[in-house]
Amino acid sequence: MDVGLFGQYVMNGLMLGMMYALVAVGFTLYFGVLDVINFSHGDVLTVGAFAGLATYLGLSEIGVSWAPAQLAGVLVVATVCMAVLGAAIAKYLVLPLKAAPPLNTLLLTLMLGTVLHEAIRLFYPLGANPQRFPPLLPTQAYSFGNFTLRIDNVMLLLAGLGVIVGIHLVINKTKLGLAIRAVAQDEETAKTMGINFTLIVLITFAIGSGLAAFAGILHGLYYGEINFAMGLLLGVIGFSSAIVGGLGNIYGAIIGGFLFAALQTIGVVAMPFPSAYKDVFAFTVIILIMAWRPTGLISEKISERV
Amino acid sequence: MGSARAVIVSMLPGIGSAVAVTVYVILLLAVESQAAIAALLAAGVIAVLAAVRFGGMARIGRSFAEREDALHVVIVLAVLALTGFFYEDHFVLLLVATVIIYVIACLGLNLQFGYAGMLNFAGAAFFGVGCYTAAVLTRNTPMPHLLILVAGGVMAAVIGSLLILPVLRTRSHYSAVVTIAFALLFKIFLEVNDTLGGPQGLRVDGMNVLGWEFNDNIEIGDDFEVAFYVNYIVVGLIVLALAFTFVRRLERSWVGLNLDAIRLDETAAACFGLNITRWKITAFTLGNFLIGVAGALYAMMLGFIAPTNFTFGDSLILVSIVLLGGIGNPWGLVVATTILIILPEKLQVIQEYRFLLFGAMVILILLFRPEGLLPRPLRTYLPGWQPK
Amino acid sequence: MTGIRFRHVAVFAAALALGLAPAAAGAKEKVKVGFIGPLTGGTSSNGIGGRNSVDLVVRLRNADPKAKYEYELIVLDDECKPNIGVQAATKLGANKDVIAAATHYCSAVAISTVDVYHKFGLPIIVWGAVLPDITYGNTYKEVHRVNGTMINQNETAAKFMTGLGYKTWAIIHDTTDYGKGHNKYFTQYVTENGGKILGRFGVTSDQQDFLAELTKIKSLNPDVLYFGGLTPIGVRIRAQMEKLGLKAQFQGTSGIVSDTFLKGSGPLAEGVLAFREGAPTEKLPGGKYFLEQYNKQGYSDPPEAYGAFAFTAMTLILDTIEAVGPDRKKVRKALNEVKGANAVDSITGKVAFDDHGQNTIAVITKYVAQDGKWKVWEDSDYAKGLRKLKGK
Repeated sequence: MDVGLFGQYVMNGLMLGMMYALVAVGFTLYFGVLDVINFSHGDVLTVGAFAGLATYLGLSEIGVSWAPAQLAGVLVVATVCMAVLGAAIAKYLVLPLKAAPPLNTLLLTLMLGTVLHEAIRLFYPLGANPQRFPPLLPTQAYSFGNFTLRIDNVMLLLAGLGVIVGIHLVINKTKLGLAIRAVAQDEETAKTMGINFTLIVLITFAIGSGLAAFAGILHGLYYGEINFAMGLLLGVIGFSSAIVGGLGNIYGAIIGGFLFAALQTIGVVAMPFPSAYKDVFAFTVIILIMAWRPTGLISEKISERV
Repeated sequence: MGSARAVIVSMLPGIGSAVAVTVYVILLLAVESQAAIAALLAAGVIAVLAAVRFGGMARIGRSFAEREDALHVVIVLAVLALTGFFYEDHFVLLLVATVIIYVIACLGLNLQFGYAGMLNFAGAAFFGVGCYTAAVLTRNTPMPHLLILVAGGVMAAVIGSLLILPVLRTRSHYSAVVTIAFALLFKIFLEVNDTLGGPQGLRVDGMNVLGWEFNDNIEIGDDFEVAFYVNYIVVGLIVLALAFTFVRRLERSWVGLNLDAIRLDETAAACFGLNITRWKITAFTLGNFLIGVAGALYAMMLGFIAPTNFTFGDSLILVSIVLLGGIGNPWGLVVATTILIILPEKLQVIQEYRFLLFGAMVILILLFRPEGLLPRPLRTYLPGWQPK
Repeated sequence: MTGIRFRHVAVFAAALALGLAPAAAGAKEKVKVGFIGPLTGGTSSNGIGGRNSVDLVVRLRNADPKAKYEYELIVLDDECKPNIGVQAATKLGANKDVIAAATHYCSAVAISTVDVYHKFGLPIIVWGAVLPDITYGNTYKEVHRVNGTMINQNETAAKFMTGLGYKTWAIIHDTTDYGKGHNKYFTQYVTENGGKILGRFGVTSDQQDFLAELTKIKSLNPDVLYFGGLTPIGVRIRAQMEKLGLKAQFQGTSGIVSDTFLKGSGPLAEGVLAFREGAPTEKLPGGKYFLEQYNKQGYSDPPEAYGAFAFTAMTLILDTIEAVGPDRKKVRKALNEVKGANAVDSITGKVAFDDHGQNTIAVITKYVAQDGKWKVWEDSDYAKGLRKLKGK
């Protein structure tokens, strides 16, 4: 394989990995503070992308046509709306089930995901059809042999990287981050130290859902198209990434995200079967990894009672 | 045991309710105007609420608990009466057959989830394994079709065994995720795999037992024609009766006790010397077997299957049925399946919104009535025994 | 049982009343006919266009005082998925009140449902699916088709493209029978005309990311990318080609001749080629009449590429029911006799079925997307040399 082609595959893989990592970080944050799995996360991403699209259409309607302003509007509205939605999900659906078996929460959030994407399908105008997402970034391209570098891809990649670094700083360098880590480590102790547990949970869900909205818009800008069903697969992939990395560990989630993208790319490039099998290959490897390391590569510390 | 008179008296509430429900379902299936259906539904809800309010439900429940086997026969007769009533109405009979087949599959899920506490989000995938097994075997081998039903079950159990290691090694939601990943993987695999028809799907031959073609209408004389779905209802009922009896016996045996213990507290169960691995494998495999059998029958009835029959959403519907019915209660399954399958078909208004409504319904149940419509009753080992 | 008996008696009585007193026009007998097409999902604009066109026939007929019956249209959605289509077909077939139906835009669905129609003896006319096997793969007397097949479409496409001087192709097709059919027939005709296929890639119909396939295609460097599939993934592939700077000419089939493709691709649609059997609606013998009536009803969506065929199919069904009465067997027999000297006129021209129920459509229209519209090639700026296709 020539270098240009190889570069192209790496570039494609990096973009995918970035999206998976952003989704996975959300899962891992939720699990950290509340030991729950919020399976509606993927569909929150979809709702975020649609909220962004609606904002764009609204802005065009009132005459804002300068792309950077549109982009800023789309990003702000989508992230804020999803942050509120995330906090609402935590307050009204997830926290009330805190004492119930964990599987109930899993089931509830799965069903919530169904409700969310069905609501888009039914109530967004022509929601069952794929929707065109406008290119809001410059689209100049530079070719080096078989490798084409588009400005917008580079910008998306850098933006994703920036957000991940930002999350890292929030978690590790701020008081809020300290509180989140404290709750994640030991809820009771954190409470006795005067941390408002409910508030921290709500903030964490808001951050995670905001990230999902960002990933949704990234997805829209990258593929130029969004549809109501895109969240399910992204959610499961993001979740698998988080699991493989070890739930509750942000770096694990990021590594997991890029690992999954790498597996898909390897499935395309280096495996003897047709490229359509890439997801089958990736999921099989994930199941195998889970059989080998039941709590992920970077292991969550759990105390077995037996 | 009591005298014959006492037996009859104790059966009366059960028989009465069975007759009432049968008449009600017949009415519901027969009327076509949307207003009439809505009125009937409202009447049904009010009747049930009234029965609960005035203690009728408890009496019916006791009656079923005491005379279970006899009342099973009554239920089978009721379904046959229903079938006879609609003998030439293809569509109604298709619905009835679908309900029967779904109940069989959900019995399998119930075994895994309700008894052993193993959540299986790949129900539709194992159902699909049964379907595809039937498709391949009916068209490529001369295997007798009744054996194909068994083969569908065996195949689902075998494929399921691939998942046993990861499911056993992981705990609660981690293992649920293994099944979710499998459900997605299975559908993608079917879509990209060309030898199994790809997204185009496969045709399946109708069932044929000893020369009796199941997919031909039964013609008696010149004018009297019975819809071919009756064949599948009869076979479905037989399979269901076997599966139901099996599951009930299992539940009441020491096997069921062991499974309950594992579900309630794995650690404690292990401390008392239960072999958790063995019982989990048993429940998972038996459950998948039942799901696979149901799948094989479904495929032969439908005559055509495609990967989009077996999406993750369909798996969620199966889980919803188990949850709505009341986890661990096979009777609840029958009620829940009937509601979830027949309601959207009859009430056209909600047809398009059914996934949304199912989702919302399950969320509400989880929040406000996590035990389901018909919660699993306490074990009773002696017929008629009441806690004092 | 009484309910059903009663219904039969009522129908019988109504028939009697009609026979004895045809003047009693106020109480026409109700007759149900069906329509199946994709009303949701990425191909829904074609399905809705077809549904409206069929609905138009029923409305016009019900407004006609000379009609013997009052028609009720039962519309079902096949979502362009084979299994949903089989369920819908079963629903129609199992409903004894439905006499005949106009069905299916998606070939993958139609090829799966023909068995069902045969099983229930429901006569149908396909209004949009183009896979040859739907009519030629069986001898079912129930199945007819007014639109053409993909064979001629690909023959014309291959000749036209090689005529323009293109030499090499890469093929992406969906892995349903529809995409596979296009792959097969286009390969056959393009090789006969001296073209060369460098590589072919099967993709599933709800795949999202085609960058892997497209990256491989890029290294093959073909003149043309041939796409045998439907609108939704067509839009994605067109957009992702741009991501990779893939410069090949994009050539589609009748599956992307839809407004949704143009809207979904935006400026990227410019210069995309596609082929469809039958003349463009406005150039059909009854095209003007059809569009006039269609617009008069105020449907919010356009009839799309196959609306005229759907109109023809339902018109033929209603004419037949008027002639022989609401009876599946009689309608089936009458439809089978529409051939040779019995050919009937329609807005799409003469309809005559061969032994397999297939109508002959000789004309193939070549389309090119120009300024957000599907333009007939001969009338386009491209044919006049004002604009240039890729690689020219």
